[in-house]
Amino acid sequence: MLLPTFALLAVFSLVPFLWAFSTSFYDYEVGGESKFVGGANYLEYLRDPTLVSSFGNLLFLIVFHIIIVMTAPLLIAKFIFSLRSERARYIYRVLFLIPIVVPGVASLMIWQGLIYGDTGFLNELLRLAGREDLTRGWLTDPRTVIWAIVFIGFPFAGGINILIYYAGLTGISESVHEAAELDGAKGMLKFLRIDVPLVMSQIKLLTIMTVIGTVQGFEGMFILTKGGPGFKTMVPGLWMYMNAFSFQRMGYACAIGVILFLIILGLTVLNMRYFRSSEELKAEAN
Amino acid sequence: MDVGSPLKGMATVASEFEKLYPDTRIEFTEAPVGQREYLVTQLAAEQAPEILNVNVEDVWQDVQKGWYVPLDSYLEQPNPFIPKGELGSKQWWDQFKYQAISRGKAAPDKKMYCITYDMVETGIFYNKNIFKRLGLEEPKDWPDFLAIQQKLKDAHLIPLLVGKESIADWGMDVTFDQLYGEIIAGIDLTEDANRAASMPHYLDWDEIAFLFNKGFFTKRDPRFVETFRLLKAWRSYWPKNLSTEMMKMFVSQQGAMMWDGSWAVNRLTRDPDLAFEWGVFYLPAIPKSFNRYADGHPQNVIGGSGTQLEVTNSAYDDTHDPKTSVKLKRAIALLQYMTLPKNTTLVVNEVLAFLPNIVGAEPHKELLPFHNILQRRTAPTKWLYTFDLRFNEIYRRMLDLYLNNGLSESEFLDWMETNLRTASETVVKRKGIDLSALESKWAAKAKLRETMTGFPSEK
Amino acid sequence: MRHRRAQFGLHFLLISILALTLMPFVFVINNSLRTSSEMDHSFFGLPKAAVSGVKFTASKVTAGTETFEVPASNDRDAKLERLGYGDAMKRIFTQLAQGYAYAWEVLRPYMLNTIFVCGVTVVGVVLVGSVSAYVFSLCQFKGRKVLFMAVLAFMMIPGVLTLVPSFLWVKKLGLLNSHWVLILPYIAGGQIFAIFLFKSFFDGLPGEMFESARMDGAGHFKLYWGLVMPLSKSVIAVVAIVNILGTWNNFLWPFITNSDAKYHVVSSGLYLMGRSNVSANYGTMFAAYVLASIPLLVLFLYATKPFMSGVTSGAFKA
Repeated sequence: MLLPTFALLAVFSLVPFLWAFSTSFYDYEVGGESKFVGGANYLEYLRDPTLVSSFGNLLFLIVFHIIIVMTAPLLIAKFIFSLRSERARYIYRVLFLIPIVVPGVASLMIWQGLIYGDTGFLNELLRLAGREDLTRGWLTDPRTVIWAIVFIGFPFAGGINILIYYAGLTGISESVHEAAELDGAKGMLKFLRIDVPLVMSQIKLLTIMTVIGTVQGFEGMFILTKGGPGFKTMVPGLWMYMNAFSFQRMGYACAIGVILFLIILGLTVLNMRYFRSSEELKAEAN
Repeated sequence: MDVGSPLKGMATVASEFEKLYPDTRIEFTEAPVGQREYLVTQLAAEQAPEILNVNVEDVWQDVQKGWYVPLDSYLEQPNPFIPKGELGSKQWWDQFKYQAISRGKAAPDKKMYCITYDMVETGIFYNKNIFKRLGLEEPKDWPDFLAIQQKLKDAHLIPLLVGKESIADWGMDVTFDQLYGEIIAGIDLTEDANRAASMPHYLDWDEIAFLFNKGFFTKRDPRFVETFRLLKAWRSYWPKNLSTEMMKMFVSQQGAMMWDGSWAVNRLTRDPDLAFEWGVFYLPAIPKSFNRYADGHPQNVIGGSGTQLEVTNSAYDDTHDPKTSVKLKRAIALLQYMTLPKNTTLVVNEVLAFLPNIVGAEPHKELLPFHNILQRRTAPTKWLYTFDLRFNEIYRRMLDLYLNNGLSESEFLDWMETNLRTASETVVKRKGIDLSALESKWAAKAKLRETMTGFPSEK
Repeated sequence: MRHRRAQFGLHFLLISILALTLMPFVFVINNSLRTSSEMDHSFFGLPKAAVSGVKFTASKVTAGTETFEVPASNDRDAKLERLGYGDAMKRIFTQLAQGYAYAWEVLRPYMLNTIFVCGVTVVGVVLVGSVSAYVFSLCQFKGRKVLFMAVLAFMMIPGVLTLVPSFLWVKKLGLLNSHWVLILPYIAGGQIFAIFLFKSFFDGLPGEMFESARMDGAGHFKLYWGLVMPLSKSVIAVVAIVNILGTWNNFLWPFITNSDAKYHVVSSGLYLMGRSNVSANYGTMFAAYVLASIPLLVLFLYATKPFMSGVTSGAFKA
């Protein structure tokens, strides 16, 4: 009964992947000739002008995204969960879901034009406050661009992450809370000692998904900055894309892609191994 | 068959063509602007539209793959739709108005892959009200131009709106032209008769690669260093953010001048809320008194086109042989039909942005300033289109960083040098060209160069 | 008293965060009713057509029957026309709706395609995903873990890495310019996360339940169809919605594989609009964003409850 799954994967994922893997050892231009070059593409990437900055940016993005995904939605979920009224809790959960109906491309364009634009919200607000001197091209100024990128979506409250954490929180029984209260745990301490460990498995899943999404994703940079100015917001995924489609260096692009695949695989394994989920914590405690 | 976007004029011409050839149906596809992944995948799969409307310089990257049909042989034949005795009845070529620029669109392999249907050109748009209020006039020369910008800056206006892409493209080419004018005859090694009239001394990639090996376009080349210093000094008069939405700043009178193309006319004449008069002038010359490498010759133009039509390999997918294909003949016929003066007027003049490139089709009167600008010669380099797209990508990014104080001059020139080295090595390897062939031509010009100064210093 | 104040504080906090989150969308809706030149002149402001209505550009492009007169340069208002106050008021409604009318005209056929593709994909993903997850979760066999990990590993292949190979491959398979070129790869890719979610959910079902059903002589099909699936309604909702969101937003693949406009979907349509001459008309673009969001909004109105109970059923964990 696993046949449909594996048939589909084989045809639509494995074949293209193997093709890409083998192409990474060729000098291949779409529509042109292809020549076997061994590991030359991989070696060239070690000397690539974008290598250092793009991996630096990627690391920054991963760290930032992980911190965000571990905090903002969890806190909001906790706030909602702490409401007394069942109805209010429901309404907030629905309202916070609204942003996900907007197509991703659209919301990027919205931020680019309406928030960061020359005459966008941020600059117009500064002008109203009489601080013309502080206005800038948020996405073109080398000093602000990476921050402008990561703050897209602020306050990071939209989407299903809140629900995922909320689900984890509802799994925590009242008795646990009462017991904690008797122990004298209050407020933040209680949150850290009781709630956080119990949503560990959600945190773990979201971390993995965030890492995968960040390493693979470059849509934001593609639409907003093309990795610029200079290479200030370049990431390996975007450089792979540009090599494949702009420079038509398919073999080189495939080599970068294979490296990214290995990185994702490595990080996921690390995550699985060293990041204990609540079930595992429970099992250890017993 | 497919062409750009379905304008009314084009639709009319297409349906008349369909009446002439009832077995032909013309469809229009919106091919997104600048989307290489679309073109590359579609062309590789031989399912691209038969006729494309793409900047021909973007096509040059792929001509060796046989994706495009060279049009020279058709251009040298009569246009069958033209009555005997009229322009074009001997040679299709004769119909084109801006001959020199059109012929200058030949690819580096010397073949012509496009029909240059119309022209666009750049100019400095200026706000006449602001100029009048501050007592300013159109500049006579470069120092004058800078003085105007300083006065505008003192008046808390953005003196000149300009986009960062335009600087890497137009800014670099015209500044290079101004500062190499004195020696260009001494370093131009292959002269191309087709281009001589409007693009004397055009430097192709092989010449640039050769000259690079001789120390040109490096830190040792004083003119090259000066080119970027001049741009950097000019930069203080541009908006803080070079990706600014220029038009917004111009119509809201925050910017007094704007370096833009003739297409901006369309937008300006239609703005119901526009509260000022505007005019257009071209960049003034840089005199020797301002920069010792300049020679004061009038600024050359960029020379571009809004509609360049290419025929792709899909056009002969009926027989897979361009010689026997009926479909290809029909595609060419459509292009020839489109270039009839009355059809050109119908198609090109529908939008107030392009100047018809066909004799007998007159431009809108609002575009006449650009007709005058187009009488100038064309700059001798197209840095953005000389090498591959990777060169462009790095060059544009680093120039942007340098101009915005993200890189020092020396760091920037190092980037340029590495980039040029990789680009010229790649291009030499990919096209299999022997640079040493240029050595004798270089030697032949040694005498001429002795009369000149300002060459790269020895290592 | 303390509780009340704390509750009030929570509400205040949540409403502030919500306001920040939704603010961009308010701008979008407002700007979808403004013209490009209005937006050029000022960023903040209400739609002029609604507020004043004295000066107007003549709209050359309305929702016509055949072609759209879109000048290739930038804006589609080709001629300037000044109207008297009375006439202007009459135009107000059309003017306000103009961006929407045009955007809708463009998006309508794409909308139907998208709904079809999303529908078939989601059914495929739920079926294939749940069957495989059932096998992985409830059947004992050798190599089960390895196979499951192998499936998950596919999630780590960067999408763009396989873009060109996949394209050339589906071309070889003769799938270009059809709905299947979208549906089949979408099912292939979408099933992975579905399997993951279904499996975590099935793993959490009480084992005794299956024991007793099996005692009653139920086979695997009966267990799957009669017992597991009815219990999984909420997870199905989650899988479905996550999948629809992904399908709805994917633009590069449909854009490349279906060059025939007949098969365009909303995302590639939006992307095309954004890259075409229409994009200079911000109002139309914003209107298109709003329109493109409506089907999902409707879907959410109906699916929120099972979706939320699905997410809260605890399938989302690692």
